[in-house]
Amino acid sequence: MRDLHLPLNQTQRVRLEAALHELQTLAPAAASAAAVTVADTIPVNHEDNILKGHGTTDQDGEVVATLCGVVERVNKLVYVRTLRARYKPEVGDIIVGRVIEIAPKRWRLEINFSQDAVLMLSSMNLPDGIQRRRTAVDELNMRSIFEENDVVCAEVRGFQHDGSLHLQARSQKYGKLKRGQLLTVPPYLVKRRKQHFHHLEQYDVDLILGCNGFIWVGEHVVVNEITTFNEDQEKLSAEVETFTPMETRKHICRLANAARVLSALGFTLTIELIIQTAEASLSSNVKINDMLGAEFYVQTAETEAKRRADLLGRKKGGAR
Amino acid sequence: MLQSKSFVKKTKQGRVVKVVREHYLRDDIPCGAASCSSCDAAARRLNADAAAILVIDTNVVLHQIDLLENPAIEDVVVLSVVLDEVKNKNLSVYNRLKALCTNTARRFFVFTNEHHRDTYIKEMAGESPNDRNDRAIRVAARWYQSHLGASARVLLVTNDRDNKRKATEEGLNAETVESYVRSLAQPGLLDLVVVPTSGDVTMEDVEDLRPSKRKVIYIEHKPMSEITSGLRCGIYHQGKLRVNRYNPFEAYVGSESIGDEIIIRGRSNMNRAFDGDIVSVELLPQDQWHETKSFIADDDEDDNEGDVRLAPDSADDAPRNTNSTQSTVASVSSRPVGRVVGIIKRNWNSYCGSLEPMPMPAGSGGVAHALFVSKDRRIPKIRIQTRQLGNLLNKRIVVAVDSWDVMSRYPSGHYVRTIGDIGDKETETEVVLIENDINTRPFSTQVLACLPSLPWTLSPEDLANPNRQDLRQVRVFSVDPPGCRDIDDALHCTPLPNGNFEVGVHIADVTNFVHPGTPLDEEASQRATSVYLVGQRIDMLPKPLTEDVCSLRADTARLAFSVIWEMTPDAHIIATRYTKSVIQSCAAMSYVEAQARMDDSRMVDPLTVDLRNLNSLAKIMRHRRCERGALTLASAEVKFEIDSETHDPLDIGIYQIREANQMIEEFMLAANISVAEKILQHYPLCSLLRRHPSPTKEMLEPLLRTASSVGLNLDASSSKALAESLDNAKRDDPYFNKLIRILATRCMTQAVYFCSGDMSLSEYYHYGLASALYTHFTSPIRRYADVIVHRLLAAALDIAKLPPIFQDGPQLTGIADNLNYRHRNAQMASRASVELHTLIYFRTRPVDTEARIVKIKANGFIVFVPKFGIEGPIYLTSKGDKGGDWVVDEVNQKVTKPGANISYAVLQSVMIHMEVVEPQPHRPKLQLTLI
Amino acid sequence: MEHVNPLTGFRVDGRRPNEMRQLRGEVGVVSRADGSALFEMGNTRVIAAVYGPREIQNRSQQVNLKEALVRCEYRMAEFSTGDRRRKPKGDRRSTEISLVIRQTMEASILTHLMPHSQIDIFVQVLQADGGTRSACINAATLALADAGIPMKDIVTSCSAGYLCSTPLLDLNYIEDSAGGPDVTVGILAKMDKVTLLQMDAKLPMDTFETVMELATEGCKAIATYIREVLLENTKQLECQRG
Repeated sequence: MRDLHLPLNQTQRVRLEAALHELQTLAPAAASAAAVTVADTIPVNHEDNILKGHGTTDQDGEVVATLCGVVERVNKLVYVRTLRARYKPEVGDIIVGRVIEIAPKRWRLEINFSQDAVLMLSSMNLPDGIQRRRTAVDELNMRSIFEENDVVCAEVRGFQHDGSLHLQARSQKYGKLKRGQLLTVPPYLVKRRKQHFHHLEQYDVDLILGCNGFIWVGEHVVVNEITTFNEDQEKLSAEVETFTPMETRKHICRLANAARVLSALGFTLTIELIIQTAEASLSSNVKINDMLGAEFYVQTAETEAKRRADLLGRKKGGAR
Repeated sequence: MLQSKSFVKKTKQGRVVKVVREHYLRDDIPCGAASCSSCDAAARRLNADAAAILVIDTNVVLHQIDLLENPAIEDVVVLSVVLDEVKNKNLSVYNRLKALCTNTARRFFVFTNEHHRDTYIKEMAGESPNDRNDRAIRVAARWYQSHLGASARVLLVTNDRDNKRKATEEGLNAETVESYVRSLAQPGLLDLVVVPTSGDVTMEDVEDLRPSKRKVIYIEHKPMSEITSGLRCGIYHQGKLRVNRYNPFEAYVGSESIGDEIIIRGRSNMNRAFDGDIVSVELLPQDQWHETKSFIADDDEDDNEGDVRLAPDSADDAPRNTNSTQSTVASVSSRPVGRVVGIIKRNWNSYCGSLEPMPMPAGSGGVAHALFVSKDRRIPKIRIQTRQLGNLLNKRIVVAVDSWDVMSRYPSGHYVRTIGDIGDKETETEVVLIENDINTRPFSTQVLACLPSLPWTLSPEDLANPNRQDLRQVRVFSVDPPGCRDIDDALHCTPLPNGNFEVGVHIADVTNFVHPGTPLDEEASQRATSVYLVGQRIDMLPKPLTEDVCSLRADTARLAFSVIWEMTPDAHIIATRYTKSVIQSCAAMSYVEAQARMDDSRMVDPLTVDLRNLNSLAKIMRHRRCERGALTLASAEVKFEIDSETHDPLDIGIYQIREANQMIEEFMLAANISVAEKILQHYPLCSLLRRHPSPTKEMLEPLLRTASSVGLNLDASSSKALAESLDNAKRDDPYFNKLIRILATRCMTQAVYFCSGDMSLSEYYHYGLASALYTHFTSPIRRYADVIVHRLLAAALDIAKLPPIFQDGPQLTGIADNLNYRHRNAQMASRASVELHTLIYFRTRPVDTEARIVKIKANGFIVFVPKFGIEGPIYLTSKGDKGGDWVVDEVNQKVTKPGANISYAVLQSVMIHMEVVEPQPHRPKLQLTLI
Repeated sequence: MEHVNPLTGFRVDGRRPNEMRQLRGEVGVVSRADGSALFEMGNTRVIAAVYGPREIQNRSQQVNLKEALVRCEYRMAEFSTGDRRRKPKGDRRSTEISLVIRQTMEASILTHLMPHSQIDIFVQVLQADGGTRSACINAATLALADAGIPMKDIVTSCSAGYLCSTPLLDLNYIEDSAGGPDVTVGILAKMDKVTLLQMDAKLPMDTFETVMELATEGCKAIATYIREVLLENTKQLECQRG
C-alpha cells in the first residue's frame, strides 16, 4: 500500500490486510463502480444535454476521463473527482502555506497548487490594525510581517486576470503561525467544512486543517481583536521568555502523529478522527514516537474499520 | 501460465559479471504422445501403439546418430537438454538430429523439458553440470511415465552406466543401446551401433592382423587449456588443415599468425587430424624443414598408386608441389614445416568408399573387423566392425568416423549404409555425387508449388507490362550444343539503316518465375548450379522451368531479359540498352548447324546473313579482346558418345571447338561485361561479380620451367605479355602450341564470385578475360549467380524492388561463398564422372596411342593423352625401387639412363598402351605403359 | 545463435515469440513525489517520480505561457547492469532517451489545462535487461496518472524485434544485443495512435509491418494491465477515504 513502507511482521500483515479488506467491503458499491482511470469512457445519456466538467474530455462523441478518480454527477454536470492530485483552489478556502519569496508588495506562498500563490501586502491587515494606504515604508517593513519559510494561514481570494492565484489575510485569525508543526497530506483527505480552525481546549492546541492539505498543529494563540501596536511589541518581547510548556508540546506531537498515521492509511482527516486516534494512543499507552510504528498503524486501521462498521450498522438499523 | 525464475550465472570476461536471466517455466508444453488426451493434439508425433517411447541420453545421440537415422528407430523423445548438449558438443550431429526432428515422416518429438514446470530442475550443490543434465533426463523420463500412465512404456536409452544404474534405482525402464537394438531383433541394425571405445578388447584382433604391434603410434593431443595458452603466446598456430589431394601424407595449414601455409608431412606429424579439421600446429625446428624428393606417389607402401586421371583444368585441381624444384637448389626450403599438437574442431563426416579386400574370418560370431578405404584419398583408412562382411566386401559403402586412438594407426568408425556394387555405373555416379555434396533429392512439394501453372503460355498481363518490350517480331535465334534443352540465351542481329547493327542478347527471364524468398528460390540458392555429368544432368531448377517455361525454345513466345547494343560494323558499342522482353526464337540451332550455315556460301537466307554478320563482329571483338591481353587458354574437354540403351560410353573424343562456339561465347562475354558495369554503377557495394585473380609467380613457375627446358621463353609479367608469348610459341609440331596453352591453363586459379563490397576496385579484375569487370548474367537457368545478377539488373532499371538480402553484406558474402563451393563441387563431379566413364570405356577397349610427357619425376614421368584428355603416370622402374639407375635432370626436365642412352624430356611425344587392369578383384584401374 | 529454438519454437528464456515478460506495476513508491510508480518487465525494473504541476523554476525555459512545461530526466542506476560502472549524467544516450520519453508523454498530457506550471518526470532504471525505454514510458504513464495529471490517453510502449526470421515481442537484453532490428513502439492505447516509433536497423517493409503490429499488440496488452493497476489503486483510495 502506498506511503506505507513499514516493517510488518506476519501477524501484523494479516491483520492490516484484514482491516483494509473490511474497509473495502464496507465502502458503498457505488463508489468503486464509479471509479474510472485515464481514458475510460464515462457512460452518459447524451439526450439529457450533459455538461462535461473537470477530468473529462470529448473523444469521438464519447465522454472520456482524463484522470483517475470517481465520477460525480450533479444534475447535468458530469465530472471526475480526482483523488491524488495537487490542490484545486476554490474562493473562500482556508489554506495554510509557506512563504517562498518576498517580492515587491507581495509574498509568494507555496500552497501545493500548480503555481505559487500570491499574498498582496494590500490584502493583509497591518500590524497596527489601522486601515490605510500602504506606504513605501510598509513595503520596506514587509519582512517584519512574514519572512521566507514562515508558515502562514490565509484564505483564497480568487484568480487574477493573468491566471495567478491571490490570497487574502484580512482577519485576525489569519496570519503567521508559530510554535507548532506543519504536516502535508494529500489534499483529497481534507474535506471542505464550515470550520477549519479548531481550538482543542483539553490540549491547549490549535489545529488548522488547510484545504490544500497543509495541516497546522500548534500552541493555542489567544486572538485579541484590539491589540495596539505598542502592546503587541511588548507582548512579543515577553513571549521570548515564555516557552511552550512541555505538556503542550507533547500534545502537539501526539496530534500531529495521529494525523500522519491517518493520512498514511488514506483516511479522511476530520477533527473527530484525529482526536479519537490521539486519545486511543493515550489510552493504550502508546508512546508518541511509537505511534509511527507498525503496531499503531494496524490498530488504527482496525479501529477505523470497526467504527465504520458500527456506523453502517447503525444506519441500517435506523432504516429498519 | 508464466512462472518466472531467475538464476545467477557467472561469466568470465576478464572479470566476474553477475548475469541474471529469466527462465520461464510453463505448463502448456505438449508431450507429443498420441495416446495423451490432455496435451495439445496438434503437437502429436509419437505413435499411440508404440511398443515403447524412447527417451534418449545425450551420449546416444552423439555416438549413435547413424542408428537413430535408421527408420527402425521410432517414437523417440528428444529432450531440449539433450538438444543443447549435442549442439555444444558436435554441430554436425546436431544438424542431423534437427533434420530428424523436423522430418514429418519420422516420429521424433522434441520435448522442452527445461521450460516445463514439472521437469525443470535446479543444479544441486556439488553437482557437476553433466550430472545435473543426466538427472534432468531421468526426471523428464519419469514425468513421461507418470504423465502417460499405463498407456505407454517409457524407456530411457543410455550408454552411461551410471545414469542407467540410477534410473533403474529410481524405478525407470532403462536400457543400453545395444540391448535395445538387440531386442528389436534386426541383425543389420547392430552394425550401426557404435561400440564404445573404452572396452577396446575386441579391437585388438584387427590390430593383430597388421604387422605393427600395439603401441603408441601418435603423440597424445595437448589439452585444450594448453592449446589456448600456446596460441596466445604464439608457440602454436591455428588453422584449417587441408590435405593434399594428390598426396595424403602432406597437408597444409593456412595460419593467420604466420601469414603463410605451414606444411605438415607424414601421418605422425598430422597426428590424427582429418582434412578440414581446425588444428593447432607447432613449428618444427628449421633444420627439419628439408624436402623429400618428389616421387609420383609418396613412400608409404599403403597408397603407392598414382592414378590415371583427367587432366586438370586449373591450378586448384593440380597437385601442389611447387617447391619440389627448389629442393635441388637449397636443401632447406623457406616454407615452415610443423606438426599437429591438438585438434580444436573435428570435421568428421561420413565417407564413401569400400572395404579393403580381406579373407572371410572364421567364426567369431560373424563379427569381423575390416579396413575401409575412402574414395577420397585424403581420408585415411578407417577400421570398422561388421557382421555382414560378405555382403559388404564388393560394395560401395558409407562409413562414419567415431574416434581415433593414439594406439591405433587408423581411426575407427562404423558402417552407415550401402550404396551399391563397386564399378557399377549408377553406384559410382552416386558416390561421385555424395563425395561432392551434391543434392540429388527430388524437389519438395513446397518448391514445386512455386511453379507457374502448366502449360505456361504468354499472358496478356505480360504483354501489357510497360517494362516489358515486345520483341516477337525480331528475328531471334539460339545456338547451343546439340540436344540442349535448357536454352538460356538467344541472339539477334539486325542491320540498321545507318550501317550499324543492332545486336541483342536475350537471356531467359528466370526471375519472372523465381521470386526471392520463396522455397523455390531457397532451393535454387542452395543448389547454386546445375551439375552436368556424362549422360545426366542434375538441375538447379525443377524440370518444367528448366526445359520448358524458361527455355527459349524455337517458335514459342518466351519471356527474356535482353541486352541490346547498337554496334558499328567494326564492333564498337555505341549504345547499350537493357530491357525485359518477350521474344519468339525462330530457330534453335546446334553449333554444327550454325557453322554449316555460315560455311555454306550458297545459303543467303536472312538467318544465315545474320549469323555471318554476328560472326564477323565476334571476330573483331575477339581480336580486340586478345589485344587487350585476354588469354586464349585451352583445355582438353572430352566428349562421350553414349549408348542410348545401356548408357555406356561408345566413343570418346576431344570436344571440338568451332567458330560458332566462339561467336556465341564472344557475345555472352560482352553481355556479361555490360551488365557488370550497369549493376556496379547502381550498387557499388552489393553487386555480385566474378573475378579471376592474377596468378602468382610460384604458380606460373612450373610452366616457365617447362617452357625454358624446351628453349621457349615465356613472358608472364602481365596477361597481355603472356598472351603474346603464347601466341608466339609455335613449333613445327602442330600440337605444341595447344599443349603449352593447356599447361598455362593449369597454372591459373579458378575465377570466383564475390560481393563487390568485400573487395577493392582493383581486385575486381578478371585476369583470364583481361576485363576490369565481369559477372555472370547469361545462364540463369543453370547458375544461381545469374539469377542474383538478373535481380540486381532489374532493380537497377527500376523494374523491380531490390530484395532485402542485398542489404545484408555478410549474408550476400555467404551466398557468394556457397556459389563458389557448389560451382567447384559441380566441376569436380563432372570431372569425376568423365573419369568414371573413361574407365568404363577402356575396360573393353585397350588402346595404343600417342601421349605427351608433361612432368618428369624421379621414377618416371607423367603423360598427357591429348586424344582422351587424360593424364597419368608411367613408371620407368618397378615399384619400391626409388629412382634406380635413372638420372633426373630437373633443370632441363629430363630423365636419362646413363648406360642405355635413353632419355625422356618434357613435352616429348611417346607411344603408350592404355589398358584397364584389376590388380585386386573389383578394383579396376587404368594403367598406362610405355611401348 | 539461435534465439528461437527451431524445433520447439521457444525462446531462450522459455517464452513463445509473441509472449511478453512478466509485468508488474506499482504506484506510490516515492512518498515525496506527487506521483510515482515502479514498473517491471521481467528483469527490467524502472522507477518513475513525477513532481508537479508546480511553479516554474526556470522561467527562461518556458516557451508557451498557456501550457505546462514538461521536463524529463532519464538515468541508469550504477547498479542497473551487470558491471558496476559510473554512469555519467547527461551522456548522449540518456539525453536522447530523456527527450524521447518527454515527447512521448507530452503527446498525451493535457498541458493546456495547467498553464504557468511545469511537470517534472524523473525516471531511473534500477535494473536493465532490455526494453528500458519502453519500461520507462510505461512507468512514467503510471506515475503521471498517479499524480493526477490530466491525460488524453494511456501511453504505453513495447519493443519487438526480428531474429531468426521470427518477429519477437519484448526483447530482453540478450535478444536486444543480438544485432537484429529493435522496433520500439509507443501508442495512445485507446485512440490507437502512435506517439513513438524507433528503429535503428534495416528491415524490409512488409516484415517491418508485422513486427510493428506485434509491438502494438504488446502495447495494448500493457495498457490493459496498467489500467487494471490504476483502477485498483483508485478504488482502494476511494474506499479507504471513507
